[in-house]
Amino acid sequence: MQGTLEVLILRTLIFGPEHGQGIARAIQQTSDDELLVEHGALYPALQRLEAKGWIAAKWGTSANNRRARFYTLTKTGRAQLLRETTKWRRLAAAMARVLGPEPERG
Amino acid sequence: MTFRRRRTHDDFSDEIRAHLELEADRLAADGMSREAARDAARRAFGSVTRVRERFYETSRFVWLDQFAQDLRYAWRSMRRNPAFLVTTVLTLAVGIGVVAIAFTVFNAYVLRPFAVHDPRSLHQIGWRSRDAGGESFRWRDYEQLRRRGDLFTSVLAESTRFVSSNGRPLAAALVSGSYFTVLGPRMAAGRGLGAADDGVEVAVLSHQAWVRLFAGDPGILDRRLDVNGRPFAIVGVVGPDFTGLGDMPRDVWVPLTTYASMAQPDLVGRDQPRAVTIVTRLRDDVTAEQARSALGSFVAGAIEGEEDVRAFVRRQDSPNPLSLDLLAVLSPVFAAFVLVLVTACANVSNVMLARAVARGREIAVRLSLGASRSRLVRQLLTEGLLIAVVAGLLGLALTAVALRAGTVLVFRTLPPSVSAIFRTAPIPIDHRVFLFALVVAALTTLLFALVPALRASRLTLVNALRGHGGDAGRGSRLRAALVVAQVAVSLVLVIIALTLARNGAAVGAVDLGYDARGVLSINVREGQTRLVRGLAEAFEVEPGAGDVAVTGGNPLFIRSRPVAAAPAGAATAVATRFTFVSPEYFPLLRIPIVGGRGFQPDEARTGAAVAVVSEATARAFWPHEDAVGKTIRIERPEGRPVVDLPGYSEVRIVGVVKDVVSGFVMDGPDAGHVYLPISASSPHALALLVRPRPGGGLGPEVLQRLFVRAAPDPQIFEALPLDDMRALQVYPLLAASWVGSLLGAIALALSVSGLYGVLTYTLSQRRREIGIRMALGATAGAVVRLVMRQSARLAGAGAAIGLSIALAAMMALSSVVRLQRITIVDVPAFAAGVFVVLAATALAAYQPARRATRIEPSETLRDS
Repeated sequence: MQGTLEVLILRTLIFGPEHGQGIARAIQQTSDDELLVEHGALYPALQRLEAKGWIAAKWGTSANNRRARFYTLTKTGRAQLLRETTKWRRLAAAMARVLGPEPERG
Repeated sequence: MTFRRRRTHDDFSDEIRAHLELEADRLAADGMSREAARDAARRAFGSVTRVRERFYETSRFVWLDQFAQDLRYAWRSMRRNPAFLVTTVLTLAVGIGVVAIAFTVFNAYVLRPFAVHDPRSLHQIGWRSRDAGGESFRWRDYEQLRRRGDLFTSVLAESTRFVSSNGRPLAAALVSGSYFTVLGPRMAAGRGLGAADDGVEVAVLSHQAWVRLFAGDPGILDRRLDVNGRPFAIVGVVGPDFTGLGDMPRDVWVPLTTYASMAQPDLVGRDQPRAVTIVTRLRDDVTAEQARSALGSFVAGAIEGEEDVRAFVRRQDSPNPLSLDLLAVLSPVFAAFVLVLVTACANVSNVMLARAVARGREIAVRLSLGASRSRLVRQLLTEGLLIAVVAGLLGLALTAVALRAGTVLVFRTLPPSVSAIFRTAPIPIDHRVFLFALVVAALTTLLFALVPALRASRLTLVNALRGHGGDAGRGSRLRAALVVAQVAVSLVLVIIALTLARNGAAVGAVDLGYDARGVLSINVREGQTRLVRGLAEAFEVEPGAGDVAVTGGNPLFIRSRPVAAAPAGAATAVATRFTFVSPEYFPLLRIPIVGGRGFQPDEARTGAAVAVVSEATARAFWPHEDAVGKTIRIERPEGRPVVDLPGYSEVRIVGVVKDVVSGFVMDGPDAGHVYLPISASSPHALALLVRPRPGGGLGPEVLQRLFVRAAPDPQIFEALPLDDMRALQVYPLLAASWVGSLLGAIALALSVSGLYGVLTYTLSQRRREIGIRMALGATAGAVVRLVMRQSARLAGAGAAIGLSIALAAMMALSSVVRLQRITIVDVPAFAAGVFVVLAATALAAYQPARRATRIEPSETLRDS
């Protein structure tokens, strides 16, 4: 799901600038590998977000002294994230109502 | 969307490399071996190549890359088939060239703004009354307008007249002192005229005149120009792009205030005539409509002798400012030119269709290798665009050549007395024409390349490899439809051309009713009766002059004046026309007198109340009686002021003459005419007719001498052979028929070649079938009939459609235009058109039919 990945990237960047690998890691950790199977899939999404002007990129140095391209959330990106989050929350709530309570496991 | 600099591939690769290293670092930190960590990072990333491809495709300039690729590819495939390239480019170039010619002329006379400062704010002031209208005012009206500041920022006045410079006629713009300061045209040398030049004999030359008269002499500012025998100091030369505020280029500009000293009439004196046009620059906050209503009473006061005078204020930013009326008149003409282009497109489209089938295999392979259909269509359109752009440029070159040749042709074919004073506006191929040609090229691409491209992209690999051209059946139907349309269009154009040519010939052969050969017509501007008398006296004593007659208006020069007349005692008068003529008029023109007699000299001298009427008038008033001796009543026609009626109202008829053509040749002989007697000293004498004695040596030099003796202002423009007047009247019709014939011929040639192409193509498809037929005993004649039948079906359908379109168009036209000597629905022209087109198409079929008979049955059967 394209839109999902983009929201996740924006969400990750809210904590500050991060490079591609960092973003991939963060998404994998928080979503239990569900939403990002291959790291490579991240880059077209980054490309799109950059084209839309929601994130900006700049080469910098990583914590362990490697050159990396760091992405930051722009002002319009932040506004977009807010819109998307609201939308997703509402969608998730609606889906939850439709699907009913989670069945007991066991 | 922002257009940032494109991110390079290398930069992107660096980022991916950094990602892999960072990931490997992290994994190694978790305790993996360096080697294993690197592999794991790669695995987690997925396909690097795919990500790179995605990056490439999302970058915004892919289409440009692909376009360049398509262009390269198109160029390669064209080079492989130069015959195709040459045919299509030439065909389209002719089509685009034809349309570009029409547009270039339209641009020069309508679209191209005057090369002056801010042409958009220029407005001309004019008037309309119930019976007339015009743009002429008096000098004092200009001076009055110049003083009011509420509507205009500036005002200028101009009167364009012909002057004589060492015996050669020059178009002179007599201008107000404000002219050059208001317009600010670019000067090639020296300065423009200014307010300080009032009454000073200085002149500014046009660029053309500088080159023509002074061979572009760089020391021009030290030289003088002879204007009506007076040496005017040349103070400047205007740049080549400004030729005056009108469509006839001016040769020279002089202060209007100098005219009184060199010629009549006095434009600035007490009895100044209405002879200047007034152009203003409207203030920014004033609209043309506001100016019009504000000027109402001023204009009404300036134009006396007319009823219901209203003002108009019209944009004057080009020789003929664009208006809906103008477009309505011109669009049928444009349509004829566009039809030729459409025919050319049909031809190229036809060739492209055939080629797409021939390339079926290549296209199918590309499709199966993963080219998307849209990409393939784009590729084929790019090929089309390449052809169209090359053709467009070639078309522009054709336009330039054709316009030059056309101008020369016009000068060669005009009567010599007219071509001496005729000037065409510069007809440049400027940025507008260039842009137009490019747009047309792009549009034609869609017209001729889109359908073949879409069709080609629908090919399936299996069919193509098997040698079937996809939906070949539908393809050939489309091609047949194109040929039918071409034949229809060319028939319409051929019929138009033939109708014009036949009418031109008919009008040229109209019997004028008098012998115009060698007769010289000298027309004098109103208010110059003194000049008429002077000239008449000068001719009287000139041995070569022969016969001289004086008239109130010469035949073929203008429609004679309307008047109402009735037999004395009858209640209602009918509209007819009248002319003042001297007794020499009938013998000079050799107009037969069929009853009674002509005028006597003493009747002319005293302005006696007698008349000679035309046969038509006599017949209308007294169908069964002799008109001689009867009396008719002359009155003003209903509501129309006729200022120069004679003082009497009842006249006795002394003679009846044959009907003649007095006005426009296209009108045919007069429906009625009343002649009244005058002599050279009459105030109604405004023109002369001279029949030189054969071998009397009344050449231009002698005429010039006589003119100068009679008046200081020779007004050469007004002396024209009657024959030339007639030729000039027929000329537009002739010129139109030439243009029409050219368009018709091009369209016909295109459709013949289109038909030829289709026949050849279907023949190649049907080789096997024909071979079998021949093997089974079909004769050569039967095979020829087979091909001819196909050709006849296409041509017949096209001719039927063309015929009905032409008929409908001509009937519509004939309900609008009514001229006695013009036949619009001309049956012989229709018949000849159908014959020409059918004969041409039969000729196109002949060669393919012959080739069909030479098919070797054994060979075709062995193939495949």
